[in-house]
Amino acid sequence: MDRAQIEPRVRELLVQALGVPSTSIDPDFSASSTPAWTSLNHLMLISQVEGEFGVFFSNQQIRDLTSFKGIVEAVATHLHGSA
Amino acid sequence: MTSDRRIDSAALHQIAATVGAGQSWSAYQTAARTLDQIPPDAVPDHLRARVAVLASFTLDPLLSVLRVEAARQGLWLDTYLSPYGQYVTELLDPASGLYRFRPHVTFLAIDGDVLWHQRWAEMPPVRSEPVVSGLLTPLFAGLDAFDRLGSGIMVVNDFVLPRPSAEGVNAFRAKDTFAHTMGQANKHLRLRLALRGNAFLFPLSDVVAQVGRSRAFNWRTHYRGHVTWSDVLMPAVAERYVGFALAALGKSTKCVVLDLDNTLWGGVLGEDGAAGIALGPQSPGSEFVDFQRELLDFQQQGILLALCSKNNQHEVLALLRTHPSMLIREAHLAAYRINWEDKATNIRALARELNIGLEHMLLIDDSPHERAWVRDQIPELRVPDLPPDPSLYASWVGSLTSLIVLRQTAEDLQRTRQYQESRTREAYQVSVGSVEDFLRGLGLRVSIDLVTDGSLARVVQLLAKTNQFTLTTRRHDEPTIRRRLESGAWRVYTMRVIDRFGDFGLTGVAIVEPGPEAWHVESFLMSCRVIGKSVETALLARIATDARASGATTLSAEFVDSGRNQAASAFLSQHGFVAGSGGRWLRPLGTPGPEWPAWVGTTTAESSESDLVDSAKASL
Repeated sequence: MDRAQIEPRVRELLVQALGVPSTSIDPDFSASSTPAWTSLNHLMLISQVEGEFGVFFSNQQIRDLTSFKGIVEAVATHLHGSA
Repeated sequence: MTSDRRIDSAALHQIAATVGAGQSWSAYQTAARTLDQIPPDAVPDHLRARVAVLASFTLDPLLSVLRVEAARQGLWLDTYLSPYGQYVTELLDPASGLYRFRPHVTFLAIDGDVLWHQRWAEMPPVRSEPVVSGLLTPLFAGLDAFDRLGSGIMVVNDFVLPRPSAEGVNAFRAKDTFAHTMGQANKHLRLRLALRGNAFLFPLSDVVAQVGRSRAFNWRTHYRGHVTWSDVLMPAVAERYVGFALAALGKSTKCVVLDLDNTLWGGVLGEDGAAGIALGPQSPGSEFVDFQRELLDFQQQGILLALCSKNNQHEVLALLRTHPSMLIREAHLAAYRINWEDKATNIRALARELNIGLEHMLLIDDSPHERAWVRDQIPELRVPDLPPDPSLYASWVGSLTSLIVLRQTAEDLQRTRQYQESRTREAYQVSVGSVEDFLRGLGLRVSIDLVTDGSLARVVQLLAKTNQFTLTTRRHDEPTIRRRLESGAWRVYTMRVIDRFGDFGLTGVAIVEPGPEAWHVESFLMSCRVIGKSVETALLARIATDARASGATTLSAEFVDSGRNQAASAFLSQHGFVAGSGGRWLRPLGTPGPEWPAWVGTTTAESSESDLVDSAKASL
């Protein structure tokens, strides 16, 4: 699975978990600029990403996965790393 | 009357329908946001419930799931969640957010791990008894406070250990293992909750078993942020929570309407004959016996059963009387319509006969075609999809959210018999001439008393359920009534009605605020079963007599239009009340009346074999 396939699915999960419009999610979209991205929503979002792609992040990774780009990259690395 | 901004239960249901079975939490979030876009004032009051959740772990993600599952049942929820881990504090503090919120239902969600941590707080782990009381003592101190300060019902789950035990194969021999501690905790929880009329045990262990323990808990979110319940457990719990909310608002199912062919037995009676249908100790046939057994369990809690089937009535009645494996007999049925009319017409007729709103009825029918037709004709009726395979019927019916009976009063348990008496009564009505002759011939007797410990549950139930003949439709809960009685702010009258065909039970309630000058009627309601007998005049006459005796000069009352209480709209003007200012109706007590109806006699609680009015009469 390449980035082009991962991106729309992560985007959809962000829309659902945070309630933001799809159009607002550009590559720079991140927790620091998004009030709805609270720590609890972060927890639920990451859990949904893990369920969607069948991956598992470490606690260290989770703390850093605070942007759209970061999540997409982490998923891609995970999938390729385990392939 | 309805503007296009007005939201009804069908609209709520439609929003919830976007989330199907087995969908993730994200899907619930999206649907909950759609609910958020509805302006709260667009939702009529009778669809709204206030639900509080107190939890020992993080349950914020449950709220969106709960609101969507409520919408699926046509309910709009206002929710309150206690601050993390502060459930005991919230219960004990009179100024807590919980008490300001005035919930209809409070769910206390306690993680079994709390018990586990309590046990491991000391090394080596201590004996069961101090662990159990260490948890339950503060909890029940909190519940005592809730009784004094709170509102509505309290629902507490049993303790479930989220992981397999590591205590080994010999644990069963020993006392004071964790398994033993948990068993003791659940036993004491159950025994102590059972003593509280407004408290219920939520069978979390049952729901966990239903979804499977390994799927019920999410260890990743548990350790990352104390979100212990998984995406799979939350909807299953929410569905049952909503059942309690429906019941607390008086919106549960009161009557289950049953089809016959391929529903209560296999095959078609008209074609296969009584000997040819599948109904007996072996399969095919035992599925239907088990299903009937489950239905009778509901019937014994006070839910009415009725039949609605396209069949020849004499064949069905013969089968009910003689088939050796039929468990549901004529005596279990409140009413039936067995003919060749369409089902919607028949169900409306059943609703009229039983005096039950169609929104309180539920149809069980194996035919998707009939279900679709009835849903289309009667949108307010509950028509769940029966599984296509009869082997699933018995396990399916227990999961129906709306079949919850909170209070089992003596009236509930006698209700089927009362409806059978009413069939005889109506046959009599046809045979006499004028209404007055009819009423005189009924031999009506009433017993009007002040509420007692024994009758309070029934009073709360009537307040919660009565929609038609009610002046103000105020739903007071038990703690509120107790407080007002203790402070002397209220006098609560109850009326029991009997006629020569049978006993209607406690079917009238009036709440009066006695003042030195004026007595104010805060609530006044009659069960629909006794409307049209002028017993309401008798109750008002008694209140007027008591008010005069105390020196009051005026009765005052209100009529609050709920959109459903037209039956009571003319009551005040018919009884000498004149509209005053601020929505109040006034009746000077200087003028005589209201007259006690000549055809209504009195009876005493004792001679009417009351099982509700105990010896502690007027002790409240």
